Amino acid sequence: MKLNLILFVVLIVCALTTVNFKHLTRNNFAELDAQSKETLELKDQQTMLRIEESSESRIEIIEKTAKHKLNMHIPTQKEKKFIIR
Amino acid sequence: MNKIKSRREYFELSRARRRIVLIFMLGMFLVLFAQSVKLAGFEKDKLQKESRQRQHRELDLLPYRGKILDRNGSLLAESTPVYSIMADAALVNFKDDDPIKQAKLNKKKKQLASLLKLSIRDLDKKLKNKKRRDTSLRKNIAPNTKIKILELKISGISSNKVYKRFYPENGPVAHIVGFTGSNGVGQEGIEMLMNESLAGKKGKIMKIIDGKKTPRVIGEFQSIKLPKDGTDIKLTIDLRLQNEAYNALQKAVEKYEAISGSAVLLDAKTGEVLAMTNYPSFNPNGYNKVGDFIKNRAVTDVFEPGSTMKPISLAVALERKAVTINTMIDTGKGPYRYQGKYIRDTHAHGEIAVKDVIKVSSNIGSAKISEKISSINLATMYEKFGYGIKTGINFPGEVSGTLRKHTKWKKIDHSRASYGYGMNSTLIQTAQAYTVFANDGKLKPISLIKEDDSKISKRVLSPKTTRTILTILESVTDDEGTGSKARVYGYRVAGKTGTTKKVDEINGGYSKDKYIGTFVGLGPVSNPRFVMAIMIDEPIKKKGYYGGTLAGPVFSHVMSKAFEWYSIDADGSELEDIENKKEGYADKTKL
Repeated sequence: MKLNLILFVVLIVCALTTVNFKHLTRNNFAELDAQSKETLELKDQQTMLRIEESSESRIEIIEKTAKHKLNMHIPTQKEKKFIIR
Repeated sequence: MNKIKSRREYFELSRARRRIVLIFMLGMFLVLFAQSVKLAGFEKDKLQKESRQRQHRELDLLPYRGKILDRNGSLLAESTPVYSIMADAALVNFKDDDPIKQAKLNKKKKQLASLLKLSIRDLDKKLKNKKRRDTSLRKNIAPNTKIKILELKISGISSNKVYKRFYPENGPVAHIVGFTGSNGVGQEGIEMLMNESLAGKKGKIMKIIDGKKTPRVIGEFQSIKLPKDGTDIKLTIDLRLQNEAYNALQKAVEKYEAISGSAVLLDAKTGEVLAMTNYPSFNPNGYNKVGDFIKNRAVTDVFEPGSTMKPISLAVALERKAVTINTMIDTGKGPYRYQGKYIRDTHAHGEIAVKDVIKVSSNIGSAKISEKISSINLATMYEKFGYGIKTGINFPGEVSGTLRKHTKWKKIDHSRASYGYGMNSTLIQTAQAYTVFANDGKLKPISLIKEDDSKISKRVLSPKTTRTILTILESVTDDEGTGSKARVYGYRVAGKTGTTKKVDEINGGYSKDKYIGTFVGLGPVSNPRFVMAIMIDEPIKKKGYYGGTLAGPVFSHVMSKAFEWYSIDADGSELEDIENKKEGYADKTKL
């Protein structure tokens, strides 16, 4: 009788633990799903930033900035200096 | 009259009746039992599957397609999120009885139409049929515009995210990178060649369908398989040089009103393709990607290599000791009649040394030198230089060109082959062939995709013959040479011009006014680092059609940039001029 009672209590505890773990698993899974979505969003943002970076670092834009903002110019043949080793 | 039976007697059935009812009930149970055995035992899998199909939905998790980058990490192709704006026509309502609300709705409608780049009339037309629950208002909307549209908070307006390939560099690299179809599968170029690596692997997620038919996540980790993103592909291309080559090519094609032009720049030390471009090009971001200009003509189109073959046929003669560089060849004072056909030079050169045959690009001289060597030796050397064989670059659509078997050559075919007629090759084959002169006689395997392991070169010529040919090729860029416009200030460069008549496809034979101008060169001569081949197709004859005139300045311009950006030591004799403050020959090589 005593043994039966103990087994019954163990059974109840096991059942409650199972339910609890199932609940926790679901929560974690939902979080994983949310994180996956966030990862994708961040990847999208990263892509957009990379494209922006690539368009801003185009040679034409760099040359335009160098020419107009920094007053730089391509050296003429006379301005070029060759280092003879 | 019978006496009325007791209540028990009245309801009691006869034994026979009882048995019938019992058997009937047992039979019913038996049927139910059999049915349950059938369902649980024999149809279990089928029913479980059906149940899953009704309750669960398996959704694809799409992987990110890999990027395509140049050798320095510059972006050439990338998948970007774009949105389709959808409308549930039944829910979209721009009418209200209240004038204030109506004014607000009108304003929203105007804003929506403006963001969608539609007129109010077109927007109304799209929303006219109220039965349509998923009308597409506009595709390929940028994320920022999508946010602005959704911020208007118009009921019935939603968005769907899709990924679209974006090519930030457009035309200059379009032929190499290629493009993907609407299904995201590579259709041309690297996108097609490396589709499997770029595509990655789809993932899956199982979701449960709730009462509102909304998919919800199942709380089991077994129900998710994460996608594997595609691998990034790094090319050997240097975007800076690619753009320079494209721009220089564009100027040359436009200046001489040619049909098209192609250029290939190789790193002579590694065999890597640093630039490979064609003009005209196409916009890989556009929708109408059709027409002749989609092909990467540097690898798919063949032409007779012409005079660019002369150094190779001379190399055979030098290697076989049939001639020396000082052997005199009589090129005569006019056309040379051989085997009933005429071989012509652009100018009469008389008796000239073998080394000058290349410098002045004499067909007669080349044909006469080739008479001293056998067809088998000539054809074998051409094969060793890579003619008639694919380069191994594995580019979609690459052709091997045609090099007929020497056993089928007649005497005139042998002579013509010595100056590059009667055979054909691609521009990339021509560029690869000249890596022999840049590598002490070894042919470099070429590559377009950056790899860690280096490939083994094949010896084709002895170092001594190679050095001799290199010296002769350098003389081509002298003032008297045909390639003087290819010179690079401060550097010693070598090369060979080629001017070939195109085949007249209508009348047969060679056309009288359609030419292909080529230049193949390398530099700096003291330690060759780059090999470049340029081809300009069908310029207007009166504007100029010689290879040196058309392609020489393109070579000069791109090479000078390559030397500068790769910090190549100057080895030119003009250094003395620089010290004496003399101006160089910049005007001569101007595009």
